[in-house]
Amino acid sequence: MATSEISLDSIFSEALEIESPQQREAYLDQACRNDDKLRQQVQRLLDAHFRVGNFLGGPAVGDTMDVAPIVERPGMTVGRYKLLQQIGEGGFGVVFMAEQQAPVTRKVALKVIKPGMDTSEVIARFEAERQALALMDHPHIAAIYDGGATESGRPYFVMELVHGIPITEYCEQGELAPRERLELFQTVCQAVQHAHQKGIIHRDLKPSNILVTLHDGEPVVKVIDFGIAKATNQRLTERTLFTRFGGMVGTPLYMSPEQAELSGLDVDIRTDVYALGVLLYELLTGTTPFEKDRLQKAAFDEVRRIIREEDPPRPSVRLSTLASQSRGLKGPGKQSKPSRPNVSSDLDWIVMKAIEKDRKRRYATSREFEMDLQRYLEEKPIVARPPSMLYSLNKFARRHRVRIAVGCLVASLLVICGLWLNTIYTARTDAQFAQRVAELREKLAAGDLPGAEQAFEALGRSPHSHNPAVAAGGIQLATTLANSGQLEKSHAVIDRVRSEWTINQLKTLPDSDTKQLYSML
Amino acid sequence: MSDVTRILSQIEAGNPAAAEELLPLVYDELRKLAAARLAHEKPGQTLQATALVHDAYLRLVDQPNRQAWQNSRHFFAAAAESMRRILVENARRKQRVRHGGGQRRVELSDCDLATNVSDDELLAIDEALLSFAAIDPIKAELIKLRFFVGLSVEDAAQTLGISRATANRNWTYARAWLFAELTDPAKQKNLDES
Repeated sequence: MATSEISLDSIFSEALEIESPQQREAYLDQACRNDDKLRQQVQRLLDAHFRVGNFLGGPAVGDTMDVAPIVERPGMTVGRYKLLQQIGEGGFGVVFMAEQQAPVTRKVALKVIKPGMDTSEVIARFEAERQALALMDHPHIAAIYDGGATESGRPYFVMELVHGIPITEYCEQGELAPRERLELFQTVCQAVQHAHQKGIIHRDLKPSNILVTLHDGEPVVKVIDFGIAKATNQRLTERTLFTRFGGMVGTPLYMSPEQAELSGLDVDIRTDVYALGVLLYELLTGTTPFEKDRLQKAAFDEVRRIIREEDPPRPSVRLSTLASQSRGLKGPGKQSKPSRPNVSSDLDWIVMKAIEKDRKRRYATSREFEMDLQRYLEEKPIVARPPSMLYSLNKFARRHRVRIAVGCLVASLLVICGLWLNTIYTARTDAQFAQRVAELREKLAAGDLPGAEQAFEALGRSPHSHNPAVAAGGIQLATTLANSGQLEKSHAVIDRVRSEWTINQLKTLPDSDTKQLYSML
Repeated sequence: MSDVTRILSQIEAGNPAAAEELLPLVYDELRKLAAARLAHEKPGQTLQATALVHDAYLRLVDQPNRQAWQNSRHFFAAAAESMRRILVENARRKQRVRHGGGQRRVELSDCDLATNVSDDELLAIDEALLSFAAIDPIKAELIKLRFFVGLSVEDAAQTLGISRATANRNWTYARAWLFAELTDPAKQKNLDES
């Protein structure tokens, strides 16, 4: 093994220990000193590491080696908790209903995280946020009680037991009216706002983490899993989402564009606002902004691109597309879902503001989001607005930079060509005009009065008809006509000269012509 | 004393040439076992490389010698190399059938293993692994044990006689190295084809 390989190895491992991208950069600068090549190599490996997903996540043949099944079973004891029954299973792990025995006896939910994550790291991150989590006290947030490692070395979390169903399912099953959905959603916003005020970002808001239970027949929202996404460090890159080369396990449907970025991950409360926006979209239309099928089929980088760049249709547009699709597929009267009323344009803009790609353009807090919904419900003017024409144009221009550049180039070429053609045309008509004026004078000199009259007529229709030279020709024609006794024709010509040429134009005529004109009046 | 046991003790006694003899024995045994499994198992049932290698170990190595980890280390190294060859041959043969057109009779003894990665991916990984082994043979060995034999980090660490933390660190590094190699734009074609 070459020496460079050793330092590459140790710098790489050291850099991975550092969580903050800025500190990592600083470390790399210091560790690689002036060795640009080494620095490049480390960077290449780090980039690969963050993109690695579940590459080599399983053996070439047979089952995934690390996924030893979770051995915890009902009847076993984990810490102070006795497992009673399994109540859920997902990509993350297994949830049990458990009984806490000390210091108080109560039933709790105990979540054992699946293998694939470093237990000590998970627990360290959980411990770091534990104090903040303990400060959360809200009727719509499931309390987090405890966390630790099981005997088999898996991280686990203990939280308030919630018997509920995902909010989307609840709304569908109960066929809730839009107003009821919005009101229920508002309580979700309030819960999330409370957590944000305590400095906790959820990072993984999705219907399966927002449960609805019935208390005396009234729906009560409970947001679960606060603090868990951070502890388990779930990212788009991690194997929570992908198996092997591309099969997706988790869901990127509620993932914000900034989470879809691979490096320099900085997540703030607006990430939760985004996820809430996606949830509202789903509550109103029955589908997420990006369709599940599409994201599931797309390759890893394509998923990231869609989340970061594509603008989803507004809820009302999606609804009308869905309506026409279901008409086409099922025929009239066979719709499986209750028809949803139209989404008003105000609601459209509220949802679209929450799921803006650029988080600066989203609602800054979930409270703002909730207040705007309240204004909508009270039929007051809302804050969210359709994007201004200028903004849309700007975005359009950014998307189609190359096309617009080419278009501009073509347009300016066209203008240049036009000007050039015009110059040629003008030069040609100028030459023709001079020729016609000369013809008029020749005919007059030759005494060919009908010919001169024709030539004057023709000049009157040319683009240069207002040229004083035409007027001068006219005056001479009128004089000649008068001299030859054709007074009527002479007056007609003089009248035309007087009506078509302004005094100012006539002033530019030679004195002899003007005198003649006045003498004729 | 079985041949493999004898060879293993020769390697341990400091005769590296004996390793040359070990490989064909392990390779043949693994092929035979895999073919037998495939013949008896229901279609759709996946073969477990780990189980296969463990069975071969039990069949080839005599009872009293099984405990010494040096023994198992050399054995598993040979097994990993054998599995690698079997899988690579398997992938190449399938590619030949595919690209060569026409249907060729595939003998049952040519164990048609269902792999978790596509043939193209497998061959690309193997190629990258080969370049990696030239730079860092120890970490490449870890990849081979994990990927071709299917050992867990703990088992691989034990087999290689390193700590679990080291194994984890090496694994992370090696995986990033291979992934960087495979997704290198200049060499991208390997993955894109799959």
